[in-house]
Amino acid sequence: MRLYPLLFLLLLVAAVLAVLVGSGDLSDPELRDTFLKLRGYRLAAAFLAGAALAVGGVVVQGLFRNPLASPSVLGTTAGASFGGQVALLLYGLAGAGSSFIVPEMLVPIGCFAGALAALAVLLLFLRITQDLLALLLTGFVLSALFLSLSAFVTSVAQETWELGRAVVSFSLGSVSGTGPRQLAFALPVIAVALLASWFWGRSLDLLLSGEEEAQSMGANVGAARWWSAIWVSVLVAGAVSVGGNVGFVGLVVPHMLRPFAGTKHQRLIPAAALAGGIFLVACDVVARLIPSRSEIPLGVVTGLIGAPLFLLLLIRLRRERAYA
Amino acid sequence: MRNGDGQLSLRTSGLSVQLGGRTVLRDVDLEAHPGEVLALLGPNGAGKSTLLKALAGLLPYKGRVEIADTDLASLSPSKRAKQISYVPQRSLLRSALSVEEVVALGRYVHGGSFGGMSANDKEAIDHAMQTAHADMLRKRIFTQLSVGEQQRVLLARALASDAPILLLDEPTAALDVGEGMAVLRLIRKLAARKHTLIVVLHDLADARSTTDRALLLKDGGVVEQGETRDVISAEPIRAVYGVKLIENARIGFEPDSEDRKPGVT
Repeated sequence: MRLYPLLFLLLLVAAVLAVLVGSGDLSDPELRDTFLKLRGYRLAAAFLAGAALAVGGVVVQGLFRNPLASPSVLGTTAGASFGGQVALLLYGLAGAGSSFIVPEMLVPIGCFAGALAALAVLLLFLRITQDLLALLLTGFVLSALFLSLSAFVTSVAQETWELGRAVVSFSLGSVSGTGPRQLAFALPVIAVALLASWFWGRSLDLLLSGEEEAQSMGANVGAARWWSAIWVSVLVAGAVSVGGNVGFVGLVVPHMLRPFAGTKHQRLIPAAALAGGIFLVACDVVARLIPSRSEIPLGVVTGLIGAPLFLLLLIRLRRERAYA
Repeated sequence: MRNGDGQLSLRTSGLSVQLGGRTVLRDVDLEAHPGEVLALLGPNGAGKSTLLKALAGLLPYKGRVEIADTDLASLSPSKRAKQISYVPQRSLLRSALSVEEVVALGRYVHGGSFGGMSANDKEAIDHAMQTAHADMLRKRIFTQLSVGEQQRVLLARALASDAPILLLDEPTAALDVGEGMAVLRLIRKLAARKHTLIVVLHDLADARSTTDRALLLKDGGVVEQGETRDVISAEPIRAVYGVKLIENARIGFEPDSEDRKPGVT
């Protein structure tokens, strides 16, 4: 079966399930509209976040020439999450009274700054070493750093109950509370970043052969690296602002797609956007299906799928490179 | 004949390169002309590959590099890549791209940002693959090829760019005798098509059989340059390598017939 008809079919199935499955009862005519509306927002948020994270994964894998890279593994998602929390905190402490600053805008900007800071540290660090394990360890250390900084922000935010709740629920990460205002802001931002990533796809193809060869073939390597990093940061910021800290989408989706869509970025990126959206919508349905008192956070589901796959890929890659 | 089948000379004056505060190349003056193969020779660490990379615009340098009277430093990466194509000894590519996709990367400077390939791109890719005898590898995965096959694909990638000046870094290193001979014959064929070729070679016999002129380097400086048969002669070879040159001491090889390309089985 061809790739795109299959993806659209999967999207249809996932979307229908996402509307039908949930704790609310759709047979109640008074509540039906409200439920459908909430699930519609939730569906849109999961799709947007999934698309953004999957394409973010494709781009960082090209940027670092490494199929194990993904925004969560490299600490980019944690950076974005931390940036978003700081933005929320600042808004709570200072801006809440003013009428022209709204958290729907402030949080994505904070996420963007956090994500870009995390990626910039990695790019600078890579000037020193290109080693696979060094890259993954640096990502891990960045993740740990941002998590502990986040804990600090959370504890400061606890001083007011309202703010504390907002920061905690943001950092847990969920698409269940995403409203139309957040979506309206995230949609154009993510759409532009998806297009821009696709635009840099040809340069990323060249970068697969390393900086020197890419440059000799006419790529402006510096520009390609920094613009890719910026657009990944925008994608991750957009995703985190509507879905919180959801990991491993950028690892799982490109990996599943490559056998069908190939390695060339301009073919892989549109397919990854679609497949990433489907994947996260499906994960969100699964999260709703697992019986528990309160709903399971989306990041738990993606983590349960992503972490074993990451280890599998790591073992396979180490073996391949050992014999290369 | 395609439009890239060369007509540009390359000239340097006072070319020096410093890496990490150390001078690795000092005051190199050289000229390379269409239809001619220039060999860069010298012991390990003499600065051959550094010189090649500087010419490709991959290293910062002092002095001047000119292509047809245009200063190389004034060209953007994409304009430079349309004139000069660099073939590394081995590619760092580790992703599962097909040979066809790898060769298509050479067309980067000719395409727009919006992907897609024009009829002209396709023609250039086909032509390049035929010239480098890589067309039968078309659908294979690059990383799964032998070193010799990879070298031919990298050459095809360089040719696909239609750049008239080709810089080759030890194209025969790690190849067996048949593969190596196929690459050397290809170099002659490209010279006959008026490409300007600058080739780093380790094997002096290969340089003798394939190149027109040679530049002998030691410790980053030019010891001798001129016609290859004069450069590879007793005095300079002893001065640079500390060995004695014995004429006709080596065994030689030639392809067993015209229609069977060596290294292509």
